[in-house]
Amino acid sequence: MSTARRRRLLSLVGQRVVQIPLVLVVVSILTFWLVQVVPGDPGRNALGQYATAAQVQAWNVDHGLDGSLVSRYLHWIGGFVTGDWGTSFVYSEPVRDLVLGRLGNSLLLGAYAFVIMVPVALVLGAVQAYRQGRRSDRAVTVGLLTVSAIPEFVVGIVLLLVFAVWLRVVPVQASGALDAGFGERLRVLTLPAVVLALAYLAVLTRMVRAGVIETIRSQFHRTAVLKGLTTGQIVRRHVVRNALIPTFSVLGIYLGTLLGGSVIVETLFSYPGLGALLVSAAERKDALLLESGVMLAGALSLGALLLTDLLFVVVDPRIRFERRVTA
Amino acid sequence: MTAVVPGALATDAPVATGPEQTAGSRRARRGWRALLGRPTFLVSVAVLVWWVVLAVGWHALGLQPFAKSGELLQAPSAAHWFGTDSLGRDVFARVAAGARPALVIGPFGAALATVLGGTLGLVAGFHRGWVDTALMRFFDVLLALPSLIFLVVLVGAFGVSTPALVLIVGVLFAPGIARIVRAAVLVEMGKSYVQAARLQGESALRAMLTELLPNVVGVFVVQAVLSLGAAIFITASLSFLGLGSQPPAADWGLDINANRAYLQAAWWTVVFPGVAVASIVVAANLIADNLKEVAE
Repeated sequence: MSTARRRRLLSLVGQRVVQIPLVLVVVSILTFWLVQVVPGDPGRNALGQYATAAQVQAWNVDHGLDGSLVSRYLHWIGGFVTGDWGTSFVYSEPVRDLVLGRLGNSLLLGAYAFVIMVPVALVLGAVQAYRQGRRSDRAVTVGLLTVSAIPEFVVGIVLLLVFAVWLRVVPVQASGALDAGFGERLRVLTLPAVVLALAYLAVLTRMVRAGVIETIRSQFHRTAVLKGLTTGQIVRRHVVRNALIPTFSVLGIYLGTLLGGSVIVETLFSYPGLGALLVSAAERKDALLLESGVMLAGALSLGALLLTDLLFVVVDPRIRFERRVTA
Repeated sequence: MTAVVPGALATDAPVATGPEQTAGSRRARRGWRALLGRPTFLVSVAVLVWWVVLAVGWHALGLQPFAKSGELLQAPSAAHWFGTDSLGRDVFARVAAGARPALVIGPFGAALATVLGGTLGLVAGFHRGWVDTALMRFFDVLLALPSLIFLVVLVGAFGVSTPALVLIVGVLFAPGIARIVRAAVLVEMGKSYVQAARLQGESALRAMLTELLPNVVGVFVVQAVLSLGAAIFITASLSFLGLGSQPPAADWGLDINANRAYLQAAWWTVVFPGVAVASIVVAANLIADNLKEVAE
């Protein structure tokens, strides 16, 4: 790695290292404030209607829920940073175990969707680029955009109807997936993963297409053709690598969302992931669970963003980082 | 779209802007004609109009979305075009009435997002400097956060009343629009007419409104239609999660979630509301797509 590149990498890391904690602090304050705006006494919610006022008061003091908003925030964020995320009111379980366990499930589903999505996008995008302007190119674009415009729960319902109800190849619910063996788990998770992948396929394919077209038009591609390399060699050595570059930026934006759990898909398939957990936490006003879960999802997304930025600089020596931000 | 032109001509215009404006309006006329010749555009507009008519007029049509009007879980027939649900309610009536919540929050939220994001993008692109940098870096990172999770938190805090949802959708979509409008403004800023206007002594506000805005208005329109589709998408998703309209309201997302359990026995209770959401969102996206292509 050249000195200039290393310097750029360092300055980028420095920038993000300042930026990301700042955004996380803002997110934590906003989330905390928003959750506390919710009416209802957490002590009362936790202990039920038969507890005395004194018991409720004692419970609130115990959980750092008395005092001003600021002191409560400091108490919570202090606990969060040191790994003490409190106890969920609704599930009566330590928030950390609950959130991290669900996160694991979401990661599994997200990774599966990712594995389905990336190769399909690469192939589709490359085929489109080589047939640029033809009818098949246009058809794929319109088809994918249409699919990505339809809400996941509608796409999911249609696929469920076809594959679970009529063809009976997969079960209707994915909740049993986690106790089963690997093969069975894969079978059950396929439908949710496909729905998740379809939602992001259009954007990704479009980026691959743009990347391949740019490469095909380049001088080095022409040179490669003129010096008599076979198509396979050209695609492998020149096209794939360059086409991947713009794809990275999109992956970074979606990776966090994908891994942090898709609220809709998890709810539709009754899959115990982080997204579904956070929805039920919001519905039942489980403050600590919601705050910690949102913080984790945010940190994960920003981490993914940082990672892609780094990959970006490492993979492509031409990238000036500023250009991407202003584009 | 051409309504902005008179204001621009009223300035003691430099010679350059005169012909440019008339060329602009001629281009707009040609654009309309091109749009009307596109089948996907016409079909999408028809779909949108169909839902607007139902949203406004389902009451006048005598539809009964809340009453038991037949046997439970009847398959589609002449009496019940879309069948009946688990409470014996007519699914067609419920789908028709469900257009209303979708077409209230969607347009207002999209309008708010466009105004908010457009203004931010215009100002940031025009002034540049540290405000621009700070704003864009902030949006950059903001856009990486999972939006639906934040939506869930916001809805938990501010409730699911219509004004709250409009506000939430507006704020959520504004950063994305701001970035795109800013990019369009940056392109325009390099052109000589902006410099000419500034040298002529036009104030920043005036230059923005009378010079820049008419030239990026196409971007505004495309973004507005796109965010209309996205807003309907998001509100349907919220209702599906149980965080939007509450039973017994007729709402597509809500009905899909409520009837999910009957997927195996009565597919029509789920599929028709699903088709409704899909048709309206896809229509909005296709309209935006066509507008974008014609504008280019």
